[in-house]
Amino acid sequence: MGIISVEQADRLYWLGRYTERVYTTLRMFSKSFDSLIDGIADSYVDFCKSIDIPNVYMDKADFVRRYPFDVEISDSIISNLNRAYDNAIVLRESIGSECLAYIQLAIYEMNKAANSKSPLIELQRVNDNLLAFYGIVDDQIDSENVRNIIKAGKRIERIDMYARLGIGKRELMREINRMIPRVERCGLEYHKDNLLRLRGLVEETVIDYYKIVSEVESIF
Amino acid sequence: MQHLELLEHTDTVNELLARYGVKFGIYKNNTFKEQLFPFDAIPRIIEADEYAYLERGLKQRVVALNMFLKDIYSKKQIVKDGVIPEDFIFASSGYMAECEGAVPPKDIYSHISGIDLVKGKDERWYILEDNLRVPSGASYPMIARELCRRSSPETFKDLKIEDNRNYAALLRRTFDNVNVGGHTVILTPGRYNAAYFEHSYLAEQTGAHLVNGSELTVKDDKLYFITADGKYERVGAVYRRISDEYLDPMNFNPESLIGIPHIYDVFKKGNVALLNAPGNGVADDKGIYYFVPKMIQYYLGEEPVLSNAPTYLPFYEEDMKYVLEHFDDLVLKDVAEAGGYGVVFGNTMTKEQKENFLNLLKAEPRRFIAQEVIDFQDLDILEDKKPIPRKADLRAFVLMADEPLVWKSGLPRFSRNPDSFIVNSSQGGGFKDTWVLSQ
Repeated sequence: MGIISVEQADRLYWLGRYTERVYTTLRMFSKSFDSLIDGIADSYVDFCKSIDIPNVYMDKADFVRRYPFDVEISDSIISNLNRAYDNAIVLRESIGSECLAYIQLAIYEMNKAANSKSPLIELQRVNDNLLAFYGIVDDQIDSENVRNIIKAGKRIERIDMYARLGIGKRELMREINRMIPRVERCGLEYHKDNLLRLRGLVEETVIDYYKIVSEVESIF
Repeated sequence: MQHLELLEHTDTVNELLARYGVKFGIYKNNTFKEQLFPFDAIPRIIEADEYAYLERGLKQRVVALNMFLKDIYSKKQIVKDGVIPEDFIFASSGYMAECEGAVPPKDIYSHISGIDLVKGKDERWYILEDNLRVPSGASYPMIARELCRRSSPETFKDLKIEDNRNYAALLRRTFDNVNVGGHTVILTPGRYNAAYFEHSYLAEQTGAHLVNGSELTVKDDKLYFITADGKYERVGAVYRRISDEYLDPMNFNPESLIGIPHIYDVFKKGNVALLNAPGNGVADDKGIYYFVPKMIQYYLGEEPVLSNAPTYLPFYEEDMKYVLEHFDDLVLKDVAEAGGYGVVFGNTMTKEQKENFLNLLKAEPRRFIAQEVIDFQDLDILEDKKPIPRKADLRAFVLMADEPLVWKSGLPRFSRNPDSFIVNSSQGGGFKDTWVLSQ
């Protein structure tokens, strides 16, 4: 492992987690938005339940306006993106200005979307920048440890979210298989037993999603 | 100048600066905000001959200031010889008794010096201020040049301009010159510092590790970086961007949470280089500024190449008399303040303000200096695509590596307010690039 401090490793890991959280919640929000168009008034309530966030919204319109953009709501998409930025901004010398720029651009696009008449279109650009961020992480970061810590965070977050959302066995297995090599190669100490148990949990006939969340959250 | 192709790309360059997070932090009403630092594409241009003159003067000044620091923290010969009254040394808030007898590697105290200059309408350059503690600003023209070249390659194709993107290489050379063995790190107080962008950008560009105090530790009189897998990596040089008093809670301010306990003991034992050395504040005190030309004569036996702005010390009876008689023509500066704070212009005060200020001046004459208001040259900036004149200065950077090096560029800061002489970024100003012509 190169010269990475505990604090840097922690920031890299959470950078991966928060970017993934924004990416996945934005995709989910887009789907939910679609059903809101058809006038299913309470579908946002189900959305909040499904991703395990408190329903602090007055109605459908309030949800559409505030869930993506309200910095005062700690679970809003912008709050999670700001947390990704908070981690990225202190990692410039580890990830490079070019990588950091895509997180910065995602913030700008998010702010533009907040003032747009077609926020969903603008929000797509937020995810475009996050995808570009992952691309440039692979392309420009020389340190394998740095890349793998970010990717381990990203993969762990995805499994956490998929489990909370009750996503099917096949997708979960696929994500677990993608996560394990990242964790093994990131150079940090981890609990090997959790990885084995996770595989076992997904192979069971009835998946215990709660246990999956619990196992994935205590890998490190 | 207005025909430069680059000027059509001002907005693009500013968008790129925003993309790369080129910002500075500012506290307003107890809230931290990150602000973009507005860039104006009309450069300050310095001809090769004029630059050679500045280079000579800047090297001379910084060499003398380094000799002064060495002298003050050891023999104090300049005081014994009556060149500088001891009041101005020991009453200075920048003097640190803890630094007595400490000798930095290769006797270099101010490795990175930021010298603020203005060009008067009389075509002469004047030194306004020396910054020998943690001067910031070099990263802004450095990244702006990169983005200007990207936005308008045509502009740079035919012009012979010194490439200022070598600042990181000069800085690295400065680090390596004093590194006593081990990694070089840049120590930052964290992202809520006004110059955090610069800390992180210089770390990226020089290949040094950006660290905060909690990532370093002292063991057996040496400084180490602790890695995530528990290894101790020796640190040989620290480019610290935190001020002296917060550097080491065991030796300086005990309430500091951002410093490293005992780092100063490691430094005193010669086991790590600190850039810049602690205690430099005594040499860039606004009161000491008055004496720098005398220092040059004393230590180097030379006449100063560059002039100070005409300055008066109310501490001296004769100067106090002059200040009282010409109060409305002078600018008064509190020696303990920086960043454009504590600066008042005599002619802008109300009668009551003036009366209060004069009482303070008489009670604490050592606290203030008075300077003639230099009518310095305006530089054009673009506003609504039209050039308009604004006050602008130049911060030049002098690095003491294996030899003194003057960066062939500099940070011009300009005031956006047409009536203001204060150009500091913290006061809402913008910046430019400096083009030193290579022929």
